[in-house]
Amino acid sequence: MMFDLAVLGGGPAGMAAATEAASRGARTVLLEESPLPGGQVYCAPPQGFVAKPDRDRRDGDALRAALAASGAELRTGCRVWGLGGGPLVPAGADALPFTLSALGADGVPFEVSARALILCCGTHERIIPFPGWTLPGVIGLAAATILLKAQGMLPGRRVVVAGAGPLLYAVAAKVLAGGAAVAAVADVATRGEWLRALPALAARPDLLAQGAAWRARLLAAGVPVLSGARVVAAEGDDVLSRVRILARGVERVVEADALCVGHGLVPATEATRLFRARHLHRPEDGGWVPMLDEGQRTSVRFLYAAGDGAGVRGAAAAPASGRIAALAALADLGIGEGHEARRAEQAAALARATRAGAAMARMMALRPEMVAAVPREAIVCRCEGVTRAAIEQAAADGAATLNQLKHHTRCGMGPCQGRMCGEAAAALLADARGVPVAEVGFATGRMPLRPVPMDAILGRFDYADIPVPAPAPI
Amino acid sequence: MTAPFDCAVIGAGVMGCSTALFLARGGMRVVLIDRGDICREASGVNAGTLTMQMTRAALIPYALRAHEMWLTMPEWCAGGSVLATACPGLSVAFTDGEVAMLEERARIRRAAGAPIELIDGRAAQAIEPGLADGVKLAGHCPIDGFASAYLTGRAFRQGLLDAGVTLMERTPVRGVDGRFKLDTEAGPVEARRIVLAGGVWLEDMAAWLGVTLPIKVLINQLVVTERLKPLMRTVLGVASGLLSLKQYANGTVLIGGGWQGIGDRARGGVAVRPENFLGNVRLAAHTVPALREARLVRSWLGLEAETADALPAIGPIPGIEDAWIIGSVHSGYTSGPFMGRILAQAVLGQAPDLPLFHIDRLLHERSNAA
Amino acid sequence: MDLRIAGIARPPPVTIAAFGRDIQAHPGESVAAALIAAGQWRFGEGEDPARPRTAFCMMGVCQQCLLRVDGRLVQACLTPIVAGQVVTPA
Repeated sequence: MMFDLAVLGGGPAGMAAATEAASRGARTVLLEESPLPGGQVYCAPPQGFVAKPDRDRRDGDALRAALAASGAELRTGCRVWGLGGGPLVPAGADALPFTLSALGADGVPFEVSARALILCCGTHERIIPFPGWTLPGVIGLAAATILLKAQGMLPGRRVVVAGAGPLLYAVAAKVLAGGAAVAAVADVATRGEWLRALPALAARPDLLAQGAAWRARLLAAGVPVLSGARVVAAEGDDVLSRVRILARGVERVVEADALCVGHGLVPATEATRLFRARHLHRPEDGGWVPMLDEGQRTSVRFLYAAGDGAGVRGAAAAPASGRIAALAALADLGIGEGHEARRAEQAAALARATRAGAAMARMMALRPEMVAAVPREAIVCRCEGVTRAAIEQAAADGAATLNQLKHHTRCGMGPCQGRMCGEAAAALLADARGVPVAEVGFATGRMPLRPVPMDAILGRFDYADIPVPAPAPI
Repeated sequence: MTAPFDCAVIGAGVMGCSTALFLARGGMRVVLIDRGDICREASGVNAGTLTMQMTRAALIPYALRAHEMWLTMPEWCAGGSVLATACPGLSVAFTDGEVAMLEERARIRRAAGAPIELIDGRAAQAIEPGLADGVKLAGHCPIDGFASAYLTGRAFRQGLLDAGVTLMERTPVRGVDGRFKLDTEAGPVEARRIVLAGGVWLEDMAAWLGVTLPIKVLINQLVVTERLKPLMRTVLGVASGLLSLKQYANGTVLIGGGWQGIGDRARGGVAVRPENFLGNVRLAAHTVPALREARLVRSWLGLEAETADALPAIGPIPGIEDAWIIGSVHSGYTSGPFMGRILAQAVLGQAPDLPLFHIDRLLHERSNAA
Repeated sequence: MDLRIAGIARPPPVTIAAFGRDIQAHPGESVAAALIAAGQWRFGEGEDPARPRTAFCMMGVCQQCLLRVDGRLVQACLTPIVAGQVVTPA
């Protein structure tokens, strides 16, 4: 089916982009992997789950309601595995509509085509490895958010929350509110870093108040909140039983049955990499991000990126960036007119939200001192069991780029295709070579966007119908 | 500016690496230059099939010798290994048309020296229990095999360095002046001889010397599964040659066969065509039904060069003394190390173990025009 | 102590068979969350005993929670609970 506009990813940016485009007359489709749109921050609970609404739920529900009223076609629970068209055509050929190959929620493969494509693919979590991070019982901070908010589930009975950024305090406060013990909060940021972020956060007094309330609750409950602290090891026999934390030169051992840890968010750029869009390395935006103009246009015609996937700015900034992308796409496609006033209004909203978001993103940026502290025996690539020592050996053997590192070590060649380890591996390779992290590059983007079960895409076919090309000469 | 090298090899794929290695072993001072990283184009991303049953008949004597070289690579390349594994190869026919094709091709390849025997479907299943029912005829070659092509650069590097080759990676060559001054981004490099080993970019390289050598570019697609329990123990294809399947020791299954993606010389491999991705994996699932369960994790592209007659370009460049060329070998990875060795023999003034593939035959257009 | 947070209305629990035992879970929960709530952090052996399968990212990215539901390979974090499911290692 042919649409004017396809939006990939149904978080706040994607929901707002699809809503804006559809309500202005564009035939729009939104594709989302989860059963319901919302993304990670505004994720909706499963059907039949009813909880007291909080602010994130209300904001998410408002975006969902607007989307439902907009006339955009919504395809949830679908896994988009293939992308084609656009600039991906033989030399000299005209650009084609974008095509998205997907598996539906019902398991049936389908394809949609669209003249323009907005990517709102969100982020992955960054994990700077430490011994034991692969133990059952250790999960990501964003994973903990999903468990707590979407599933109404505690990660454990006695939980350590560790890493960087505001998510740390949000997760710790929710664990506490849910009735479990928070054994410790280990924040890699120092108090000084938080103080320096305050002026930017003043633009969002609501967030500031929320953050202060979270901290106050933790302190009132007697939770040790350690600044300038990092996890040096997660230990246990079959599953996690204790966490070693180093804070200002002092190591302590904390008993815990769950560790929620994350060191920031990394924009998910598989799709822009696949389309060969230009990228920039901007640590303050989360790492590699597509190069964008003021309309969220990538370097590829009719391809746009918005939300945290285009540079981490937080959920509050995402809807405005999604709307700006939609308005740019409509203008480029020649659909409707009079978008300028709306664009200016959204640009102002984005600028306001960005100030606080950028301060948080800086807090979550890759920390070279943490990379330097990764022990040599720590597993970096979990799929393939590649350690820091193996990465250093590869560097010594001549691996200069992330693509070459894969060939030397298989780092990033397993099922997650480097989504979990790519950033840490790049930083460690750069550290071993003594070059800036941007110099080792990123892995080339390729299909499938996610591992795809062969039987799900094969469909029914006859051998005779396989369009076998002409054989090579003998 | 250092003293001139005895030979500059431009292009650090399997052809350039093996040529440089054997030149250095023969006593020459060699520089090996690549615009990118060692073996990061076709040599590092191909399907690693070491099979006689996809090799052109004329190349079988070369492929047989190269097969032996791959298996013994650690001995001649300072321990470098591409995990080459010898195993039986099967080429199967499901239809009458494929049976006819297989019978003809097996006969020609057998005449060229490949020990291929024709067996029925049941015998083929005894060799490859994962094979589907419905095979009418199969070509069986007991000396096929496969390698992990992505290891090729790592495997050659130490051997090259030990042999004294100067390796210049990420150093694009912009042109060649006189005899021979290479204009590179790292400054001029002088050499008494040059070897062009640039894969699909040979056409551009030949143009530096005023030689017109048309090279067609194939954009081959490959797909790999995640690790699976043991499913296969052969390198498996269909009679048309448009499927290659093998399972590596780590459990991943590589699906190839030369289905075409989008790309060109200027842009490299641009994109996998979803419809060819699907066709290729359908052929694979038809041939090994247990693959249906597998999850596909990645597809990619490798660029293969082809001359007008689809036979290699290996030998001296006519009219330009001390300039040589090597490339455009069909299924070139299989025969690669042997091709480099015989070119090195010729450059060193020795008689090559087997004849080269002189390019005079490919330059008619130019001489007609001149 | 139940890991399910109190004060949230849920559909009535159903029974699934996971790794050879019956567990109770609410329809719509992810299989990964239900297993964690049942104390089953290990989802099977990985390639390396040091890296067993388990939930980690909960958003379909890390691929660590791969297992079989009714014989089909799925990611536990993206698969909702349905009554009668049979969960086995990948």
